[in-house]
Amino acid sequence: MIRFPASDRLLLTAVFLFAIAGGIAGAQDPLSPEQLAFFESEIRPVLIAECYQCHSSDAAKDGKLRGGLLLDTRQGLLTGGDSGPAISPGDPEDSLIISALNYESFEMPPRGKLPDHVIAAFSKWVKMGAPDPRDGVIEATHAAKEIDYAAGRQFWSLQPLLSVANTESPTHPDANPIDRFVIEKQERSGLRMSPPAKPRVLIRRAWFDLLGIPPEPGEMEHWQQLLGQTGNSQDLMNRLVWGQLIDHLLQRPEYGERWARHWMDVARFAESHGYEQDYDRPHAFHYRDFLIRAFNDDLPYNQFVQWQIAGDELEPSQPEAWMATGFLGAGAFPTQLTETEFESARYDELDDMVATTGVTFLGLSIGCARCHDHKFDPISALDYYRFAATFTSAIRSEKTFDLEPEENEQRRQEHTLALAEARQELEQFESTQLVTDFATWLGDTTLDGSDVDSWEILPGRLQSSEGSNFEVMEDGSFLAVGTAPQKDVYKFEAEPGLRRIQAIRVEALADSTLPKNGPGRAANGNFALGNFDLSVIDSVGLKKAVPIASARATHQQNNDSLSIAASVDTDLVSGWAVDGQIGQSQAGVFYLSGPLELNESQILAVTLTFQHPNSQHSMGRVRFSAASDDGREPEVGGTGPSPVQMQSLERVQSILKATGSLPPKEDADIRIALEWYRHRSSEWQVLYKKTAALEQAGPGVTLAKVLVTSEGLPHLPHHADDRGFPHFYPETHLLRRGDVSQKAGIAQPGFPTVLLDESEDGSRWRLVSTSRANPDSSYRRASLALWLTDSSHGAGSLAARVMVNRLWQHHFGKGIVATPNDFGTAGELPTHPELLDWLAVRLIENGWRLKLIHKEIMTSDTYLQSNRAADDPRSAIDPENRLLWHRAPRRLEAEAIRDAMLTVSGRLDCTMYGPGSLDPDMTRRSVYFFVKRSELIPSMMLFDWPEHLVSIGQRQATTTAPQALLFMNSTLGRACAVALADRVHHDDPAESLVQVYQIAFGRDPTAAELDLAKQFLARTVPLRKDQGDPDPVHDAMADLCQMLLGLNEFIYVD
Amino acid sequence: MLIKSGIMTNTSASSMPVSSRRDWLRRAGCGFGLLGLASLLEEGGWSTPVCADEFGARSLDPLAPVAPHYEAKAKRIIWIFVNGGPSQVDTWDYKPALEKAHGKSIREYDAGFSNTTGFFRDAVGNLMKSPFEFRPRGECGKMVSSLFPHLGEHVDKMAFIHSGFTESNNHSPALFAMNTGFARMGYPCVGSWVTYGLGSESRDLPAFVVMSDPKGRGLPKGHAANWSAGFLPGVYQGTHLRPTGDAIDNLKLPVGVSPATQRGQLDFLKQLNQLHLERHASESGLAARIESFELAFRMQSAAPETIDLSNEPEHIHRLYGVGNPECDHFARQCLMARRLVERGVRFVQIYSGGMENQRSWDGHSDIQGNHQQFAEETDRPVAGLLSDLEQRGMLKDTLVIWCGEFGRLPIAQLGEKPGRDHNPHCFTAWLAGGGIKGGVSYGESDEIGYKAMVDRVHLNDLHATILHLMGLDHQRLTYLYNGRNFRLTDVAGQIIHPVIG
Repeated sequence: MIRFPASDRLLLTAVFLFAIAGGIAGAQDPLSPEQLAFFESEIRPVLIAECYQCHSSDAAKDGKLRGGLLLDTRQGLLTGGDSGPAISPGDPEDSLIISALNYESFEMPPRGKLPDHVIAAFSKWVKMGAPDPRDGVIEATHAAKEIDYAAGRQFWSLQPLLSVANTESPTHPDANPIDRFVIEKQERSGLRMSPPAKPRVLIRRAWFDLLGIPPEPGEMEHWQQLLGQTGNSQDLMNRLVWGQLIDHLLQRPEYGERWARHWMDVARFAESHGYEQDYDRPHAFHYRDFLIRAFNDDLPYNQFVQWQIAGDELEPSQPEAWMATGFLGAGAFPTQLTETEFESARYDELDDMVATTGVTFLGLSIGCARCHDHKFDPISALDYYRFAATFTSAIRSEKTFDLEPEENEQRRQEHTLALAEARQELEQFESTQLVTDFATWLGDTTLDGSDVDSWEILPGRLQSSEGSNFEVMEDGSFLAVGTAPQKDVYKFEAEPGLRRIQAIRVEALADSTLPKNGPGRAANGNFALGNFDLSVIDSVGLKKAVPIASARATHQQNNDSLSIAASVDTDLVSGWAVDGQIGQSQAGVFYLSGPLELNESQILAVTLTFQHPNSQHSMGRVRFSAASDDGREPEVGGTGPSPVQMQSLERVQSILKATGSLPPKEDADIRIALEWYRHRSSEWQVLYKKTAALEQAGPGVTLAKVLVTSEGLPHLPHHADDRGFPHFYPETHLLRRGDVSQKAGIAQPGFPTVLLDESEDGSRWRLVSTSRANPDSSYRRASLALWLTDSSHGAGSLAARVMVNRLWQHHFGKGIVATPNDFGTAGELPTHPELLDWLAVRLIENGWRLKLIHKEIMTSDTYLQSNRAADDPRSAIDPENRLLWHRAPRRLEAEAIRDAMLTVSGRLDCTMYGPGSLDPDMTRRSVYFFVKRSELIPSMMLFDWPEHLVSIGQRQATTTAPQALLFMNSTLGRACAVALADRVHHDDPAESLVQVYQIAFGRDPTAAELDLAKQFLARTVPLRKDQGDPDPVHDAMADLCQMLLGLNEFIYVD
Repeated sequence: MLIKSGIMTNTSASSMPVSSRRDWLRRAGCGFGLLGLASLLEEGGWSTPVCADEFGARSLDPLAPVAPHYEAKAKRIIWIFVNGGPSQVDTWDYKPALEKAHGKSIREYDAGFSNTTGFFRDAVGNLMKSPFEFRPRGECGKMVSSLFPHLGEHVDKMAFIHSGFTESNNHSPALFAMNTGFARMGYPCVGSWVTYGLGSESRDLPAFVVMSDPKGRGLPKGHAANWSAGFLPGVYQGTHLRPTGDAIDNLKLPVGVSPATQRGQLDFLKQLNQLHLERHASESGLAARIESFELAFRMQSAAPETIDLSNEPEHIHRLYGVGNPECDHFARQCLMARRLVERGVRFVQIYSGGMENQRSWDGHSDIQGNHQQFAEETDRPVAGLLSDLEQRGMLKDTLVIWCGEFGRLPIAQLGEKPGRDHNPHCFTAWLAGGGIKGGVSYGESDEIGYKAMVDRVHLNDLHATILHLMGLDHQRLTYLYNGRNFRLTDVAGQIIHPVIG
């Protein structure tokens, strides 16, 4: 559930953080005295004398500015005029001012070419990098000079919302407010509304509109009956019940799935990077899930907008708010970049954010002002770069959340309890039964020296070259955990207690956590020890190799390349492997050529190399031990006590014999003796393993990784990281012609001028964090988000207009503004501007709740109309139905077609949320398709699925032959037909036919249809029988069902 | 991959998104007056958008054939996409000076050379002469590398452009740029623009077909974005013939359904749809959809027939090199291309090679072996295609394009066997057939073949020329999308008249 934060949720302070909107500043290194002197003596005087008259701010004031070029600031030279930058620092040949002075491009100054030495000085100056102390900030005048913002603000969509007086109309006192607007327009054109459609038509319409699936026959019958209980004699149906039906549908979870999908088009949402490799973004689906929940929970639209732009800044404690930021990072991005592309790729990414944000929330093509001022709309390039600067440091990251806090808490508690129980059981056993067993055993046993095991388990440190992690086990072994790398090298270092060593044993132990119980980490349980190296490291770090004379193993795979002898040859690949005894512990012993005498400061180092081309052939659970004699045969374990343990055993035994009882449990010897003995007890082993397994498994807390767009978090790994790709640049520059090599100053975040009141400077929405918010973030996006949704002073009115228009569009097939992503001058004008504004005001005044708007729309007469007749004379007046005088059938979208096929065939899997699927045959709703940009789902693409690269406000609805082939030949079509036939299969075909019509179309077949169907079956059954079909009756019904799914009536909703 | 689009018969009359706005505008006399825009634009002082419908009247059917802007020299295009970036100095751009410069640093010729010019900054070697011999071919005496013994026969049909250049030194942006004019994803490719501009001549085959490597070497970098319709309606995207398995989705009848049963099904469907249509007689889109099933039924036989090469006589197989182990796969694709254009397909693009490195012309290592291999795969098939088109009288109005996404550097890329790295500054393309003047060379690279030098040809120029040959004015072929009129050539493009006959 999304929790709506309290209104005082923001511990943020509005401060005046940024420069006044419009400022840009260039940057250069501090000038040296020599540079300054050169400029002042050679350059500035010439500029003043020869150039300022036509190329300075004074000239501009006097209306004498030529070519838009200002030469009285450094920025002016860099920015240039109509012909581009005047200088390219460091490159005289590429500098317009030099060629102009040389009379090669322009002829400047026009009254006569300057002396050669002056031109040479300019050339030298440019070559020096054009050092210039005149760091004045260029005003936005250049970019803005051609745009009349005051006039721009007069455009209908940029004006304040009309406070529409929707009082009762004298002519239509009973009409719903929406209808009043519609009727007024109709009357002016001599049109009138069509009568309401039949209840069953309306039920089906509402189901598809809100849920994207058809009603089940039972549901159809239920509501049809209720609606038939007419409340008002003039109405064909009970309006009250109709309102209840809408409420019911708005509460259904399928509503969120349906409407989230509409939004995904606008948000160009996909789950892969696109471009070269099109890598998946496996944690991107949380954005889709956020959308579904947001629609279902009726998250206020202003918050819905804010979270997608800056949920991380505004609600950092809310995982849902973070998920929403997936919006900004949903665009395609190249995964293969060269150095020359780094910067332009980042500007492209900013452009994707700017363009998508602009059209999605504002219906404004701000993205069109990237290279120059917008051709149609009053948006300057400077506006564009100020908008882009908002996203300067926003990047894709992954963040981990506890999305199941209650379940996880339960898991923790359950685990703690289970572990405590197991430990208690173990302790109980150790303090009672184990002691008794030990006393009995010790009393019956004669201890002599031969029981002492000369293998000393080496306690030490084990490290992996590939970062494999090891758990140190009770028995002194190391268990590898996690995913095994392809190859690995283990380095083991120990300070042995033995002073004299003649053999080293490596045990590869079986373990239930390993594939096939191990002992290797490979999928087949094997390992291949390519090389065994032993050396001694002295106190100053000098490493000396210790030669190995021979090696033997408990088992080896062959006597050749997979023998233990091959582990000490020069080949790093060949070596000891153990297939044939997989699942069993193994030991290999390496015998030294002579005794190795060690002093206290020396360290024993063992290196195990696993480089076999077969992947993951390293050891899973390894233990090292040493022996001071060389007569030991390879064996695993060895149950005998060590010399120290033997000493304790002997002492305890003597006490037992002397006193008849064991020493008290605090005694050091009894503790050592028991520690050795317990391993012999199978009961102890069972209890110990249970405890250890619980400890290792942990509480099983489930955390979720979420793809977010934020600031200050680690970036997603990128192919070009090793080339030094910075992911973002600390400043966003104003680029001339969108070219990264033509920077013209740093752009500060700001809002499009035309959407700001002249008295506004933007400071109203600017925020910084307090200590409780997110200190790593710039809060630039939060400012944008607040401005976007501020209906009093910011862009909220436009945002509301754009959204209610989207709702209207999906209910009627066309928006009040027919270009839902373009409310600018190139877009269409609203057919009903007052209605649009009335809906927008309703939205804002009712807490931005979308469900209310749905209901307003769907309970209007305008919505309830029936289709026109073929020869309706009104068609001549308004063929496009712009004045909404009838209902036109609409082709369902790809998702609704497929979901309807699955629904009527009874195959739909209603599981909600979670990772999507690329399997075209999956049976979940189509919103759960994994959207991979290079592998778009074929059946979806046939029906105009978007390419998910740019924001799509309205899909096409094409009709193509390949679509027909899908109904005729696809596995989807056939499987649904067969399942539908199974669903209705009946001894009486007439009965089946009635049933199938009710399922597929929510109505009974007409007599003519029934007749045709019977004829079809009568023809097809013998045809199938002749082909040797064992079940011709059923299969002919499937043939029939297949065609019903292909009917126009199935995919066009009245 | 699959058939992504195909024959469009109609839009639904109710939503008519493809053409409704244009239709409406046309009915309104192409005036913005009714939209109330013209006056506003004048008041606002902003420039007036180009009328989106200017390129010709069009029925409800967005794939209906449309008259070109002016008389077309070419009716159809076959684009041999030399994927991976073929080396100009080893193929068609003979550089005797490079032989003399062999072993010298490129900085002696171009001081501005940076190690980041190519893809691998740490493998920059010295200038390297071509390992292939060049000799004069045809009447025009064009110097041609030994890579192309068969194509060399056809140089008098070809116009060479030696001064092509692009922006990106990286495969997929360069591929996108060559195909769409923009280095980013999301723009319509040349084939989509042409289909949008001219519609489809075929009623039962797709208008725009793409074939990729059938040898398991993958798709070109950027995958299907290379034949994407971008923001144009999806019907204009390329239909990718799957290189293995079923070339087009859903062409085979379901198991157990015989042709007779299906015919019965479609008759039944039509009867029921007719009943529905009677109740919705005002909706022309519904009638179109009824027709789409009949089209689909025909397509079931037309498409497999086109793809099936067994009906071609033996000498045609030989001409293309079908059956030759080194080039069989490409020969089949070239022959299929001819069969497709013969049946009305407007635009066919065949990719030579798969992804990058040794899987395509991307000769980072062993440029000699790499180019030898891919030249052998394509030389005879493409030569066969040119001969075949000519003998059928189709070459005169079929434009054949040989071009990749960029060129390669004249220096060696260091490695066991020297290769050549990417070079965005220069590439060679050739055009033949459909309105092209044969035996000419346009533009020049510098003496070592590093940078386009004389009469530089930007991709926009190449695209403008291709559209021009198809009878389309690149400045008038526009599409209004999210507030802007987009063109294949963005805001540039000069037709290269000297290559036009």
